[in-house]
This record gives sequence, C-alpha cells and structure tokens, in this order.
Amino acid sequence: MTTPSGEEREVKFLGGASIDGAPVAYIIVLAAVVTALSFIPFSVVMASGGSFPMAQGVYSLVGWVLGPIAGAVASGIGALIGVFLAPHTAGVAPVTVYGAVVAAFAAGTMVFGKLRSKWWIIAAVIGVGSIAFFFGRALFVNGVSLKAVVLGGASQWVGVLLFCLPTRNIFARWIASKNIGMVALGVFFGTWASFAVSHVAQSAITYYMFNWPEEVWMLLAGLVPVEYVSRCLIGAVIGAGVIAGLRAIGIVKPTYATY
Amino acid sequence: MSMLKFQTVERDSFFTRLDFRPKLVMMAVITIVAFVWESPLLQVAMASLLIVAALVVGVKFSYIRLVITVMIPFYILLLLTHGFFNIDQVKALTGKSELTPMFVFPENWWLIGGGMMSWEGFLYGINAIFKTLSLVLVIPLGVFTTDVDTMIVGMVRARIPYKIAFIFSATLRFFPVLFQEIGMIIEAQRLRGLAMEKMNPIQRVRVYAKVAVPLILGAMVKSQQLEVVLQSKAFSGSPVRTYLHESEMRTVDYLLMLFFVLFFIAATVLYFVFRIGAFGGPI
Amino acid sequence: MSEIIAALDKVSYKYPRSSDFVLKNIDLTIRKGEFFGVIGPTGAGKTTLCLTLNGIVPQFYGGRFFGHVHVAGLDTLDHPISLMASHVGAVFDDPETQLIATSVENEIAFALENLLVSREEIMARIPRALAAVRLEGTEKKHPAELSGGQKQRLAIAAALAVQPDLLVLDEPTSQLDPVGAQEVFATVRELNKELGMTIVMASHAAEEMAEYSDRVALLSHGELAALGGPDEIYSQIERLLQNDLRPPEVASTFYLIQKKGGPIPKIPVWMGEGVETLKKVQKTCEITPPRENWTARTYGGEPLLSLKDLKHVYPDGTEALHGVSLEIREGEYVLIIGQNGAGKSTLVKHFLNLLKPTSGSVKVGGVETSQMTVSDLARRIGYVAQNPDNQIFNATVGEEVAFALKGLGYAAEEVESRTAESLAAMGLSEAREMHPLSLPKGDRARVVIAAILAMKPEIIIFDEPTTGQDYRGAKYILEISRQLHQMGKTVIVITHHLYLMPEYAERVLVMGKGTLLMDAPIREAYHAVKLLQSTFLMPPQAVLLTQELEKLKGQPLPKLLTPDELAGCFRCNHSGRIP
Repeated sequence: MTTPSGEEREVKFLGGASIDGAPVAYIIVLAAVVTALSFIPFSVVMASGGSFPMAQGVYSLVGWVLGPIAGAVASGIGALIGVFLAPHTAGVAPVTVYGAVVAAFAAGTMVFGKLRSKWWIIAAVIGVGSIAFFFGRALFVNGVSLKAVVLGGASQWVGVLLFCLPTRNIFARWIASKNIGMVALGVFFGTWASFAVSHVAQSAITYYMFNWPEEVWMLLAGLVPVEYVSRCLIGAVIGAGVIAGLRAIGIVKPTYATY
Repeated sequence: MSMLKFQTVERDSFFTRLDFRPKLVMMAVITIVAFVWESPLLQVAMASLLIVAALVVGVKFSYIRLVITVMIPFYILLLLTHGFFNIDQVKALTGKSELTPMFVFPENWWLIGGGMMSWEGFLYGINAIFKTLSLVLVIPLGVFTTDVDTMIVGMVRARIPYKIAFIFSATLRFFPVLFQEIGMIIEAQRLRGLAMEKMNPIQRVRVYAKVAVPLILGAMVKSQQLEVVLQSKAFSGSPVRTYLHESEMRTVDYLLMLFFVLFFIAATVLYFVFRIGAFGGPI
Repeated sequence: MSEIIAALDKVSYKYPRSSDFVLKNIDLTIRKGEFFGVIGPTGAGKTTLCLTLNGIVPQFYGGRFFGHVHVAGLDTLDHPISLMASHVGAVFDDPETQLIATSVENEIAFALENLLVSREEIMARIPRALAAVRLEGTEKKHPAELSGGQKQRLAIAAALAVQPDLLVLDEPTSQLDPVGAQEVFATVRELNKELGMTIVMASHAAEEMAEYSDRVALLSHGELAALGGPDEIYSQIERLLQNDLRPPEVASTFYLIQKKGGPIPKIPVWMGEGVETLKKVQKTCEITPPRENWTARTYGGEPLLSLKDLKHVYPDGTEALHGVSLEIREGEYVLIIGQNGAGKSTLVKHFLNLLKPTSGSVKVGGVETSQMTVSDLARRIGYVAQNPDNQIFNATVGEEVAFALKGLGYAAEEVESRTAESLAAMGLSEAREMHPLSLPKGDRARVVIAAILAMKPEIIIFDEPTTGQDYRGAKYILEISRQLHQMGKTVIVITHHLYLMPEYAERVLVMGKGTLLMDAPIREAYHAVKLLQSTFLMPPQAVLLTQELEKLKGQPLPKLLTPDELAGCFRCNHSGRIP
C-alpha cells in the first residue's frame, strides 16, 4: 500500500444525474433494451400462432433493477419508442405503453424491507380496480357467464392475488437471494404477479373497446395460461442471468433496486 | 436494418412545419374520441379521414397497406366474434330484444350449423375494427411528420421534464446499437451449434431467452461509460440549458390546437346529450 | 517555456471500492500547445489520470484523493465538473457510447447547450468544429450512419466545440480499423500543429505516439515510471517490455543492432529517423542474411474449406463479395486482413452458413454448406467473435462450457468429460464455479474459447481477437491460437494488427472492397507494400526498413518481417564488442 505524499482532500461526491436514485445512463440503456426487444417476437413456443415481443418478459425485470419510478420510465419510454418506430406492431399503442409502465412499476414496488413498504398498494389498487371494471363489465354488461370469466381470466386474477397477498414479499425476498435458483423462482412468480397487474390494467381498457363475448373467454381459458407460463419462463431465464451477471460485474445498485 | 430512426415523410408540408404540441393534442383527442365512440358510421368516417390525411401529408400508401395487412387477421376475428356471438351487449346497447339476422348457417352444417350472424353484431364489429385502425393511424400522422429535434423541443416546451425528453432522445440514439448487438448475439449462439428445431419447448424457451442476458449486461456495462461521457459533456440533468433547435407556436399551431379542443368538447357534448357517437344512437 | 495548462501535484487516488491506490504520488505539468502522451499497460491508471483532468475523478466517483490538480488555473476539486467541462474536452475509446445525440449537429450542440451557450453561438460553432475534423456536410446524419473513424472524429469535433484549453483523448483509436485510426491520428495531429491545441492522449499505438508526441509519461501500477521525450521513453526497450508495452519496431530494430555493436549513439523511435539511422549504420556494418529456409510451408491433401466464385449481395443491394475463390487446407494458419467493409466477415460467415452465397459455391470438407445446418457446421468450425461478452450466456464458467454440449444432446458423462478437458486446456479448471463476468477480459475470452473447444472443431476462426486489447492481452490470445495450431487445428485469424502476426501466421489473405486482392505466404504479402498501402494497411516498420535497406545496399534481401530478423542480418564487428 502506497503512502500518499500529498494532502488529503475533501471529496465532494456528486455522482451523476439520476431519477429516483437510478442513474439516467442506466435508464437510457434499459429503455433501449426494451425498444430493441420489442422487435424480437417470441413465437417459438406459441404453436397456437400467438406471439408476443420479448420485451414483455423484461418489463418487470427493469422494475427490479431500477426501482418503481425509474423502472416505469425506462419501460415506458422504451415501449413508446417501439410504438413510434413501428406503430403497426403495437396494437392499441397507448395501451401497450401503459402496460409497460404498470408492469415495471408494480414489480418495483415488490419489496421485503422497510423501504417503500407501502408503495405496492398503489399497484394493487390499479390491479384490483381494473379487475373489478374488466370482470364486472363482462359479467354484468356483456352477459358473460361467471364460469367463463373465472376460467378465462384465471391467469390474471391468480396473478393479481399473488401480488396483493404477502406472497409478493416472498417473491421479492427470493429475487434478492444469493442462490441463483431461488432468484429464478422469484423472478418467475414475480413476473407473473406484476405482469398480471399490468395485464388487467390493459384489459380494462381494451375490453371496453372489444367487449369479447363468452366464446372468446372460453378460448382464452386455454391460451392465456400457456402464454403466461412462457412469458414468466422467459422472465426467469433472463432475470436470473442478468441479476447474477450484475452481481458479478459489481455495478453500483440503484437506490430502490430489489435484486 | 434500416430502422435507425422514425420513419419520416419526405414531403414538406404545412403539417410537417407544425409544432409538436398541436400534434400531441391531436393525437390525444383522436385517441380518446375513437376510444369512446361506438358508432360504426362515425368510426368509419374518422378512420377514412385519417387515411386521407396521412396520405396527404406524405405517409406512403405502402405503409398504410402494411398496417391493414398486419391487422387483417385481428379484424376478421373481431367481425366474426361480434357478428356471431356478441348478443347480450348489443341487445343492451340497442335496446332491442331480438337481433336482425344477416344470415344463418343451415342447421345441417357440421359444428357451425344454426349459427346466426346479426346485423347489430356485425356493425359493432365494424366499429371495433375502425376504432383500432384510427388508434394506430393517428401515430404515423403525428410522429412520421415530425422531425425528432422538433419533437424533443416540443416535449420540453410542453413541460415534460428535460430528463425525460433527454432519455427519450438518447434511447433513440442507442437502440440501433443494441439491435445490432442482438444480431451478433444470436449468431454467436447459433454458432455454439444450438439447434432449436431439435429441442423441446422448455429447452427452446431457455436457450432463446438467453439471448437477452448478454444484451442487457452489455448495455449495463456501456451505461458506466455513458455516465462518464455525460459528465464530461457537462450534463447534469438540469432543465436550465439552451437549445439548438427551437420550435415556436405560430398562429396556425394555436388554431389547430383550438380546433381539436373544440372538437373534443363538441364530441363530448354530442355524445352525452344527443347520444351521437353511441352505438345505436342517431348516427 | 510556454504557459502551464495542467499541473498534477502529488496526486494519489483510490476508487471507493479499490483495495489499493490507482494513482500514486503523480507529479507532472502539461504545457500549452504540447502533445502529451500517456502510455502504460491496462490497469496502469491511464484512464484515471485522464479523468482527474476534468474532475470526474474524484467528483463523480468519490473515493479518497490526495494532492492537487490544476487545469487552466482551476483546482479540479473546488470547481464543479460542469465548469471543468468547459476547459477540458474529452474523447473516449468506444465510438458507440460516447455519441449520445440523434444527429451530428445535435452531438456537437449537446455540451454547448448544457453550458448555456446561446443558440446563435452554437450555430456558428457547429460548422467550425465540423470543418476542423473534416466532417462538413454531415450535420443531419444519425451517428449510426457514420464509419468508426468518422464517429471518433465527430466525438473530437464535439469536444472542440466547447473551445477547451485541453483536449484529452483516452485510447481514441483502439476500436478502429487502420483507416479510422489514421484519420483520427491525422486529425489530432493537425489540431495540435495547426491550431496549437494542447493534447493529452493515452494510446497503445506505439508507432504513432513515438512520432507525434512531444513528451510521454509511462505509468506503471499507478506510478509515474518515466517521463520524457518520445526518443527517451521509446528507446528504453527493456523498460517498455517489462511494462508489457510494445516498442515501435524501428526502436526495437536499432536497439538489437546496437546490442550487436552497431554504431548507434541514439536509438531512433520513428520511421523518418529510422531511415536516416539506417543510412549511416549500413555503411559501417556488413549485411548478411542468416541462412534460413525462408520458403513457406506447404500443405497437401484435400482442401478443408473451399470457395468458388463466391458472390454475396446483401438484401439492401450492397455487393459485399465479387467472386472470391480460395482453398484452405487442414493444419494451415491463415491471416485475413483488410479494412472494415472489405468483406472479411462476410467471407467468414459463409463458412459458417450464417450467410448464403448469392452465387458460387462454399464447401467444407468437400460438402456444399447449403446441405449442412448451422449447428452441423458449428461442430466442425469454432468461431470466436470479437467481443467475448456477447458470447457469454450462463452464470458459471462450467455451465458456459457445457451449454452447447447439452444443447447438442450429448450424454451427461460425455458433457462432463469434455467440459473438464476443455477447461483444463484453457487453464480454467479453478474458475469453474465462478461467474464468467467476474473474470478479467482476457480470461473471459478464454471461457468462450473453452466453450468452443468443447465441441472439438477442426477449424477455429478468431474474428479480431486483438481489438481493444493491450499488447499483453493480444499476445495472450495469439499464443492460444498457436497452441491450437500446434494441436493440428486449422486456424483463421482476422486482425488489423499486422505487426503482431509474423510469429503466428503462415498465409495471408488481403481483402479489399469485396475482392481477394492477394493470397500469398506471409512474407510475400507483407512485402507487397504498395498493395497493402493501396488499401490503407500499414506494413510493419521492420518490413519497410528491410525494403529501405535493400534500396540502400542495392542487394536483394530475404523478405524479413520482424526487428529480430532484420537485426540478425547486421554484422557490425568493427566496434570490437561483438564479433
């Protein structure tokens, strides 16, 4: 160890520009990741012909890495640029962006410590409120049977339930675990829960537009769970790999990161 | 990959010279109105107007054709489900107790025999189709006709925090770099001899999804350098700065904004007072 | 003596998470108008030193800081980075991350906007800055539309636009091809000579630094190991080698001749001086090439790889290859050189079936690649891409190596034995349970190579393995390539660093604008100086000196490649020191 001969100086540590404790540079690159992955279709497992962009598998991860606010900004801007670049790929564009924002925000509020331990309530209100509107409209306006709604919307309501119950904290704890297998498990279920909140938030809007009748609900009962499993599997593979890598590189963690 | 930046129209017109703010208002108003309206006639009219407007300002016909081609399967789904199955809702909306048949499949047809397509369901499907079309088309109309610089300055002037506007523009800068990287990563993975076609679905998901791992980690490593670059260029995130590009609101911008605000108010009043725009309403 | 622009006084610095000091008691001054070089191996503290000049170290990173840095009279700890940024322009190594705007003009404007320069002033400065780096007319382009060299020149223009007192460049050419590097060096030199801009530049490009710098600081483990004129620093060959730095070949050559007793009072460090020295020395020394077999080794048998009339047109209409034919046999070590865009990667991708020929044929082991899948080919041909990090998919070194084997459906025991074998061959057995990204860059490259070796390919392609590496890192990977070659593998290397390759390669393919300009044994290819220069490739200085010597002596010499070979021809027994 060298002995410095100069006078020790007081270092004013300023850091760089940040949003809610996450460096702007992190937000930029992750937004760019979301945009880039918006153009990578994930259709290999969707024998049914359905397909969704890989970006959907990382919205939640962005929330865990950057925290709820910065995560929502990164996901939202990433998705927005994807929509601006190729509007025809987005379906209902504002809804796509809204979904990205809600998914990352909801994920970012999944914590197990004292820090921001009540923020999840905001996401829960969005989730439960949307479900009430979405299912309510189906049941009472469009005459869809209870059975169809319960089955067709199973992946969503189970996910929102997992988000509202203390399971949310358990998943967050797993994500922060040192054991990479646990991290993968935490990301799998965490993606399910946070994506479900986002999904019902989007469905509340799109359902108002499309008013799917009973037959479509029954069709969804078969398809949606397959999509959810593959989306969460993608999330878990990417999330566990990324979190292990971030720890190995030793990148400075944003203030409200969950991992 | 030529998708480096937003597609831009080549034609210079009054519309491309507009400030981004009236276009933002336009996009917001059209989105909300298209969302609320359920009248097939008004939806068709609005979508048609948007198509004409897009063509007039220089959006290529091939792009509009692309949008429609991409959406057709979804449109068919909408038309069939609403035509055949949407019964309770349209009954409630129209106040009718019986729907008007458009055609009925003969009883002896396998599976679909006896199925009836109703006029009301069909029209509801038409409403949903053109609603989606309007929601998609309003974006090229607003975005493809605006230079990125004008867009960013417009955002700042519209009181969007500078940091957000900056992240927006920097993301546009970096996404092509990452997109190119995805190509290299996929190649590297294929060169490990991983033959997707021989794997079971779960293996396939695991292998394919791993493409994103080096992408994200590489991006995070880049962000470290990016922070230093931003520092060395005196970036602090502060909105107190000058701008090379400027965008001033001119009379025509104010007029257009006013027009859309009035249109919005009119549409709201007509909808709630006279049910114009509602399904089964006067128009 | 001219005015002092920057002064470091007893500067020591430790990053918040580093265990030791990264800079140790550094004292130095930089004068106005000076071209100040900073050299040292990776980890010596070059980047940190550069960043102390604008206060990013320590104000952005934190940590412990001792001593004082003054730039333009300002103490870098007492003034915010944003103020220092108006005095110090900075240019970094990676062309991609340092351009942050969506157009060329916005890039130049960005720092000015942050510094509250008025719009009119910004508009006046943009054309001036672009003219200084010869990028006029590109104002509206997106950075992705520029070449690597243009991107770096744009970064320089953006730094110049703030009208700094000092321009700091940290390895600005390390990611570029030779054309790009030449562009950047020419630009920086012109700024220094014509406009009197003070330059601080860290670089591994020994030949250029020796020629352009006024003074050079050699850093070693955070200490200022030597400071002086380039003639002083670059002539101390042993010290450079001890510090894992590559001396300019001119200096090495005359150092070796001097050791043999050549009358060389002062070792020249750049080409112009070298030629002058050569003129004098050759008069007093006898030139007798050693009796060695200079002919290239030939390989028989059926070609392992063969191309016939290969044409490739990209979907956007770019014709990347115009009818290339060649054959590569088992056991060869082939070097492919050429600028970016010359068609090197396009060529190699055909071997791997990543690209399909527009016309012509590609055969591997006598079979058309069109009849093979990418994964069939991947078992025969291992491809090591430039950035190891783009090829790391797993959370431990062991899993990374086993990744492909599992995907290829080998039995568990086979996967295990191949993994263990491959890890051992690359010296990575100890690191098996570690995360690949926790290893240093050179080791990460080894992880990727181990993963590829596990598939037991016959052919291994290294695509620009030396880009962005220091001398030691580059040699390290090339040594691996040599081992593989000795194991009987066919090796193909793509690199821009011609001077690194004489010890390794046997045959050279020179590519230019989609054609094969030359296919010859390395000695012949490196001595085709005109042809190489026509495609902006710089032959090693030892080659140029050999040709110079031939002219001076009027006697033909063998086609020598290295300082060792060239110095080996000199018999300077008149001095009496070494007969």
